[in-house]
Amino acid sequence: MPDSGYPWPIQTSRLDNGLRVVVSEDRTAPAVAVNLWYDVGSRHEPAGQTGFAHLFEHLMFEGSVNVAKTEHMKLIQGSGGSLNATTNPDRTNYFETVPAEHLELALWLEADRMGGLVPALTQETLDNQRDVVKNERRQRYENVPYGDAWLRLLPLLYPPGHPYHHATIGSMADLNAADLATFQAFHQTYYAPNNAVLTVVGDATASDVFALADKYFGALPARDDIPPAPDGRSVPATGQTAVESVSADVPAPRVYIAHRSYPFGSPGYNVITVLATILGSGRGSRLYQRLADGERIAQPDLVGAYGVDLAHAPAPLIATATARPGVSAERLAEGLADVVDELATVPVTAAELDRAKALLSTGWWRQLSTVDGRADLLGRYTTQFGDPARIAEQLPALLAVTAEQIAEAAADVLATDRVTLTYLPEETS
Amino acid sequence: MTLIADRPGPGAARPYRFPPVVRRAAAGGQVVAAHLPGQNLAVALLLLDVGAGQEPVGKEGLSGVLAKALEEGTAQRDAAAYALAVEGLGTALSTGLDWDSFQASVVIPVDRLSAAVELLAEAVRTPRLDPADVRRVRDDEATALRMDWANPGPRADAALRADLFGAQNRWGRPMHGDPESVAGLDVEDVTVFHSEWFLRPGTLIVAGDLDRIDLDALAAAAFAGTGGGPAERGGPIEVPLHSGRRIILVDRPGSVQSTLRLGHPSPHRAHPDYVPMTLAGTVLGGAFTSRLNHLLREVHGYTYGIRGDFAASRRFGRFAVSSGVQTAVTAPALVEAVGEITRTQATGVTEEELEVARSWRAGQLSVELQSPRAIASALTTLVVHDLPDDYHARLRESLLSADVAQVSAAAATHLHPEALTLVIEGDAAVIRDDLEATALGDLLP
Repeated sequence: MPDSGYPWPIQTSRLDNGLRVVVSEDRTAPAVAVNLWYDVGSRHEPAGQTGFAHLFEHLMFEGSVNVAKTEHMKLIQGSGGSLNATTNPDRTNYFETVPAEHLELALWLEADRMGGLVPALTQETLDNQRDVVKNERRQRYENVPYGDAWLRLLPLLYPPGHPYHHATIGSMADLNAADLATFQAFHQTYYAPNNAVLTVVGDATASDVFALADKYFGALPARDDIPPAPDGRSVPATGQTAVESVSADVPAPRVYIAHRSYPFGSPGYNVITVLATILGSGRGSRLYQRLADGERIAQPDLVGAYGVDLAHAPAPLIATATARPGVSAERLAEGLADVVDELATVPVTAAELDRAKALLSTGWWRQLSTVDGRADLLGRYTTQFGDPARIAEQLPALLAVTAEQIAEAAADVLATDRVTLTYLPEETS
Repeated sequence: MTLIADRPGPGAARPYRFPPVVRRAAAGGQVVAAHLPGQNLAVALLLLDVGAGQEPVGKEGLSGVLAKALEEGTAQRDAAAYALAVEGLGTALSTGLDWDSFQASVVIPVDRLSAAVELLAEAVRTPRLDPADVRRVRDDEATALRMDWANPGPRADAALRADLFGAQNRWGRPMHGDPESVAGLDVEDVTVFHSEWFLRPGTLIVAGDLDRIDLDALAAAAFAGTGGGPAERGGPIEVPLHSGRRIILVDRPGSVQSTLRLGHPSPHRAHPDYVPMTLAGTVLGGAFTSRLNHLLREVHGYTYGIRGDFAASRRFGRFAVSSGVQTAVTAPALVEAVGEITRTQATGVTEEELEVARSWRAGQLSVELQSPRAIASALTTLVVHDLPDDYHARLRESLLSADVAQVSAAAATHLHPEALTLVIEGDAAVIRDDLEATALGDLLP
């Protein structure tokens, strides 16, 4: 077992306004990753405002006090960088990787939109990006077979009022109703330095980064009354199974089995990560061996199992399979459920455990092989657990998971509150 | 004032250094490697001189079926044992195909690289190819393609390709085949293709800490039991342009978006205009701030995104634009896109736009120096296109020195708005009349 999952230096600082700054120097390539985690996601959205955190993320690229509309993109790409942002239930992250000499530009741009977005926000920009997001919803969720599975699973897994009950993309009705004042208030409420973590990884020294962070972010005011999201940590078991069947324009029956497990970052979630790998990652996994290769009822490329790494409530564990031609949805659902249930009854072998750990180990190093991959993880551990150094414990923790822990977690998680979502091709339903 | 108004300029530029490249002949094949000192992960990639272009017409998808069949058991072990051996090392066999080459690769901590390369070679050189397994893999691949082709995009791509290059040619058919072509393959197609192409040595590409890697041992494993020379590559193919624009409508009833694929043939990869052409494509449709994305997304809100670029293989190339637009605005989106291509061809690019394009393309070369995967991919480019070790450094210089006149000339020469094929995959009943009313071109039956 390696002593550390993170053999690079980590240095931290906190500005007077509460902005946490994390730096991890690595001179291998002349590039630097800049990453901001804001501790706001769709879990903060009240009823009637679903999709707002994500639509807001789009507005962050549309100009601020000293940056014209779309100039952010032009300046980053014009310096050779790549950039993006994502929103999920937990948080919103913004990131760019640039040739190292453009670090200061990236920090200036991030500071300008942290401190100066509201005066630049216009109704025209909001209307334009609302249309863009509605097209994103069509493209990703509505116009592709099975595209809405995640939108359907969440409300089955989490009760009304739970912060994970609704999906981050939001509803068309709520997006249509979004008004400018709400977004101005959203920025003023959540986009404060003390609600963010700035991480810089790559070709830069920590002292330089701390000085630049202070120069550009240091005078932004903290906000001391940031409202927390509703508490979703406790989700009482209902003792019920939830079954939803959808007839849609899909090419083959598909089944998803989902459970609430444990929050990302907990020891239990590490066990679930190994369990999901044994169950559904690769040709040596149980689902592949049993359903794709053995009984040959599932399409080999489309069996899988994974945890969704959400930290503020028991996170979803999802297993899925898609029927081979001539196999009914019922037969597939039965086969999938059997393999999932056996996690609690058929002990995991040493070979299964070793295979999973080897795959997770390589996956870990792949994730850390780029400066942007490292920056995002450091931002995550700082935001969610208050300490970037916890990143080093992650791989050893995964490698320490035992077969007994997996059997216990399987018995605990899989015993109740199962969600089964089935897609049926329209013509045969 | 809490914000600093003045935009900072760049600091001192860091030098661009592509890692040292090692080339050697070993064990009957060629090895091309890059030294990445201290890197814990390594990549080994076996590059074979056979691409989709070598598949016989009517047998499209053959390489894909063979790639999957490689893991269905080898001379030494059955499929389940092979999976356990590979995944027990913490890796997976990753395969890829383009028009010019086939590749199989592993990404793995460097201390397990040699074991992984042995397993890679075992699958590529000595697959069992049991007839029953090959038939099952073929059926699964046909099903997988059917699944894929249920998404918007593949049917439009195929329609564009056929119209540009002619469906009588291999390169006028989908690179990975279609559900019918794959379903029609037989066992002998697969075994013959393997013995003809997969037993030639090819090139072993390695990116990693060479102080901890024995290249000769890797070569011995990768090239064991191989023979035969490189394939006849064939020269560039002359592809005629259409006279006049044409519209092809692919029906997708009930679709809430229309999938757009616009394109025409363009030069092959070794064409001397490669750099200015790439930059013209970047200004028009490559970067987020490109003309097309700015107009259709940021001004009109018609789409989540639109891209356009020139792409080229050894023998041919194409210019293409792709997007998904809301059904109701299909016709105006198409008019705007064609208008922007026309304007770019006619009036070229501005210095301000080109500044972004060349800095972005050049800067990306620095950013892409990080991971072994990216370095291995860069080495692959060197091998496939016969380029020298300092190619990426030279490319960077060419990108940075390209001027407005050169790039505008490339746009004028290589964009052909009047010869575009416009493929629209969408709800025909809703959009057909609007498309005809645009008068952008003849609507093909």
